[in-house]
Amino acid sequence: MRKIIIFILLIAPFFGFAQETNEQLWEKANAYYTTEEYQQAVSTYEQILATGEESAKVYFNLGNAYFKTGDINNAILNFERAKVLAPHDEDIAFNLQVANQYVVTQIEELPKPFFLRWKDSVINKYPTDTWAYISIVTFVLFLLLLGAFLFSKSVALKRLSFWIGIFSVLLSVFAVSHAAQQKAKINNRKTAIVFCPRVTVKSSPSESGTDLFLIYEGLKLEITDQLDKWTEIKLADGNKGWLPDSCIVRI
Amino acid sequence: MGLIGYKKKQLNKNNNFVGFDTMMKKLVIYIFLFCTVIAARAEQTRFTMSAPSAVEMGQQFRLSFQLNDRGTNLQLPPGLSDNFQILMGPSTGQSTSIQTINGKTTSEVTFSYTYILRAKAEGTFEIRPGSIEVNGKVFESNSLAIQVVKAQAQSSQSQGGATQQDQGTAQNVDLDKDNLFVRVDLSKRNVYRGEQIIATVKLYVNPNVPIHGFDEVNLPTYEGFYTQDIDIPQQINFTREVYNDKIYQVGVLKKTILFPQQNGRLTIDPFSMALLIRQRVKARSFFDDFFDNYRTVKARVTSDAVSVNVKNLPTEPANFMGGVGNFNVSSDISSTNVTTNDAVTLTMKITGNGNIRLVRSPELELPSDFEVYDPRATDNVNANDNGVSGTKTIEYLFQPRFEGDYEIPPIKFAYFNPSTGKYVTKSTEAYTLHVEKGTEEQSTTVISSRRKEDLQLIGQDIRFIKSGKPMLQVKGHTFYGSTIFYLIYLITAVLFVVLYFVYRKKARENANIALVRNKKANRIAVKRLKAAAGYMKQNNNEAFHEAILKAFWGYLSDKLGIPVADLNRETALAKLQDRNVAEEVIKDFEEVVDQCEFARYAPAGGSEARHDLYKKAETTMSRFEKQIKR
Repeated sequence: MRKIIIFILLIAPFFGFAQETNEQLWEKANAYYTTEEYQQAVSTYEQILATGEESAKVYFNLGNAYFKTGDINNAILNFERAKVLAPHDEDIAFNLQVANQYVVTQIEELPKPFFLRWKDSVINKYPTDTWAYISIVTFVLFLLLLGAFLFSKSVALKRLSFWIGIFSVLLSVFAVSHAAQQKAKINNRKTAIVFCPRVTVKSSPSESGTDLFLIYEGLKLEITDQLDKWTEIKLADGNKGWLPDSCIVRI
Repeated sequence: MGLIGYKKKQLNKNNNFVGFDTMMKKLVIYIFLFCTVIAARAEQTRFTMSAPSAVEMGQQFRLSFQLNDRGTNLQLPPGLSDNFQILMGPSTGQSTSIQTINGKTTSEVTFSYTYILRAKAEGTFEIRPGSIEVNGKVFESNSLAIQVVKAQAQSSQSQGGATQQDQGTAQNVDLDKDNLFVRVDLSKRNVYRGEQIIATVKLYVNPNVPIHGFDEVNLPTYEGFYTQDIDIPQQINFTREVYNDKIYQVGVLKKTILFPQQNGRLTIDPFSMALLIRQRVKARSFFDDFFDNYRTVKARVTSDAVSVNVKNLPTEPANFMGGVGNFNVSSDISSTNVTTNDAVTLTMKITGNGNIRLVRSPELELPSDFEVYDPRATDNVNANDNGVSGTKTIEYLFQPRFEGDYEIPPIKFAYFNPSTGKYVTKSTEAYTLHVEKGTEEQSTTVISSRRKEDLQLIGQDIRFIKSGKPMLQVKGHTFYGSTIFYLIYLITAVLFVVLYFVYRKKARENANIALVRNKKANRIAVKRLKAAAGYMKQNNNEAFHEAILKAFWGYLSDKLGIPVADLNRETALAKLQDRNVAEEVIKDFEEVVDQCEFARYAPAGGSEARHDLYKKAETTMSRFEKQIKR
């Protein structure tokens, strides 16, 4: 225990210092954006990300700055990245929708079954960490109720703590699983944005493959497989095909 | 005059107070008219001097004086003979012209005095005015400037008295670029964008080339410029001008004012025209000389390309409306005291010299609940050799919707002054508009339409950036899955287990203590009763009762597991009832306690009563011991 404290004390000033410079950069970048010097704002936000730290806010502001400089692809990419970290943020969703109006290719999404939609909406309600906190709180609650169940002499209290305990332990398990799914989204980055202005999707991972369809820049797609310098992608409408790696950037 | 008189009458009819004023005006007009008549009479004596503006060295030229009256004692300009040699003169002439206009006949006589001069030296010389006496009065002529240039080889050759044949060829001057050309003359070559340039298209002709006419005139197109033509006489007037040390007859074909619209180097493309020139055909035989043989030759002339360097304007201020030049603004409002829904017109006038047609209407910032119509702009411009000048009138029409006092801010108008290279901002005056309430139903109908307008979405843009703390984290790092996350689970679980065992052990220990005390309870009680019996024998009344009470309370505390602090009669009775102790036993216990407490403070009764109490206490205690099992 003491070791951990010493370790934290040793590491804290280092982190504090790094945080401060990044915070200064953040303030500077926001000031650039406010004075409409979008190019400088972009480079300053990128500087923050180059330090290996990230947050939904930084991605959101960077996306805004890119949007203002007219770089729609990068704007969409950063809004999507922000959305991964903060899935339920209304501003991010709105700006992403505005930016998507500039995308040439319009795709009708395949309808999902209602339970999947519900599940998605529940999972996307909070980011990973909020789910993690929820699971911890419910777990602790469960332990307290268990204690009450074990030591209480009153039958009514025992009964109550038993049922609430069962409920909270289930909730805890759900929260952990949701957190895990959100985390998987962050880790796997299975989606990408098309950056080539115009690209033909092939039926096989080679130039000689049959041309299947044409897509334009800014489109979001799902990565399903990878081979050499080719990526198999799946569009929201279910169409699949192969693209050269260089044409897409992972979210 | 009749018209003026009529107008005055009208005015008189309108207002009697202005009568005196009108009379004065009339008088002034009469005096003015009288003066002009006199002036016209005085002006009738005109004495002018004329000579070509440019001559060659050694060439003869005429200096002539014109007078429209008979004059005497002509004095040549002083100092004339310093620079010019007077070869001949004066030769006098007289001409009379008679004009009949509307039956009125006027005649004019002109006397002319002509000298033939020759220049002595090259350079530009001023000829000062000459003077003449008319009816005893001395009149002075105008002054002149004459430029004398080097003699040209060809003309000197022809003057050198060559043979007839030579003269014939000499007249057919070569139609090359030296003798015949066109050019675009620009007033400036290095300008700001929007600054005006006067472009003059000039035809230069050697005086010896007889021009017969024009053909295929392609005047230049000024690409990259906004243009405005200056009116010039239809008839081309040729004047003498020196260009590159040679004398030319120069005709102005067109004058245009140019406003460059692009930055950088703008080129005016070459243009061309064809001229018809009469040339003498070389005599083929002796007889041909008697009949002049001419033919018409077409000569094509092409100008050179001319370029203008256009500088960009410095950073524009916010209210720059594109005006380059020199302007003034003024404004006028139709009324400052209106009722709601009255239309108010604010007129702004931009007057000046520059690209007034290209000036945009400045924005008028009105209160937001005013009904504002698009401003209407009209311009009235006039192009002359000084550039384009005129007035732009902008009418802002608006209707106030609600009563109140409104401030109409001044309209700021910024323009670029190319001569100083700076922006100048001028503004109109501010007005205060007093609006009173008009008729009700009118305003309500309008308000409803206005509300509808407010609902419209004007534009779409992304939402503004987020501020506050950036809440940065290492990439890919989340609280979920971190060591701390699992540790919290582990620690709470371990803590729970530890607490569970600790609590259970303690509970067990507590249970043991209670058991021991339970077991010992009877023994202690018996001991205390024995002590009471001892006191009974000693006749110690107070100690006896106290010992009995102590025995009971101690017993119940141990037996029932009630801490001594919480022990009183009520809790004890409740506990006893809980343990299903018989009612009569509880009654006995209460009696014993009552008696003891009563006897402690009021010692009554003898040893008999004490003995009975002791007995009763002993039996109650033993029954307790039987009935309180667990």
